[in-house]
Amino acid sequence: MSEHSKPEATRHTLLLQAPPDNVDAVHALLETVWAHDVLVSAADRVRFETALIELASNVLQHTDTGSGVTCYLWVEISAEQIVATLRDSGAKGVAELPDSGMPDELAEGGRGLPLIHALVDELDYQRDGDMNEWRIVRRLSA
Amino acid sequence: MQFTVDTPSEGIAVLRFTGRLNMVTAPRLREAVGTSVTAGRTRVVVDLSGVEFIDSSGLGALINGLKTARQAGGDLRIAAPNEQVRLVLQLTNMERVFTAYASADTAFDV
Repeated sequence: MSEHSKPEATRHTLLLQAPPDNVDAVHALLETVWAHDVLVSAADRVRFETALIELASNVLQHTDTGSGVTCYLWVEISAEQIVATLRDSGAKGVAELPDSGMPDELAEGGRGLPLIHALVDELDYQRDGDMNEWRIVRRLSA
Repeated sequence: MQFTVDTPSEGIAVLRFTGRLNMVTAPRLREAVGTSVTAGRTRVVVDLSGVEFIDSSGLGALINGLKTARQAGGDLRIAAPNEQVRLVLQLTNMERVFTAYASADTAFDV
């Protein structure tokens, strides 16, 4: 991946099997990412991490049909953007992705997807065979 | 995530959490608020100074606690959120619901 001198994107991967794994494994991966890619600003880090944890939580909560979920996560950083792609073995994604806005103030749920929309520049979903594939992109501030 | 409970004066509970407030740990916050309210400590301060990260599950637990406290005639207030918590509150329009106090000591200052 890095055989040429051009500063290509760096890639970090994680295999997550829930249970027993949970979103703490995603936090741990990102600790490694931030230690390696020190040039990503604190503002970009906190926004991307919050979005990715929301996405992973959403997948773990809503696609497990009782036999657990296997997720493959990879995070790629280039000079322009940071991208997370999450493939999971769960049920077909139930969430349509248009931003429906925040729920009522005292609602206890329903903020995950709107929050992701507020934190990243792109949020995409596709069904690929028997896997879901989710992708978030945050373009890095100068 | 760990938490401690202080009862600085009658009717008040200060819950101090450390770590991440996410889908794994949010149920503990719900339970802790419920236990305090049931015991008559209906004015609840959630001290977030040790919380490094919150997601919408954690936020949902805070809202659940707020409703639990208010239904018992009390309230729930938050203290000392870090930048990430403030960002989540701002982006979810919850700053209007949760006024962030500088410290737990001042949240129910009368």
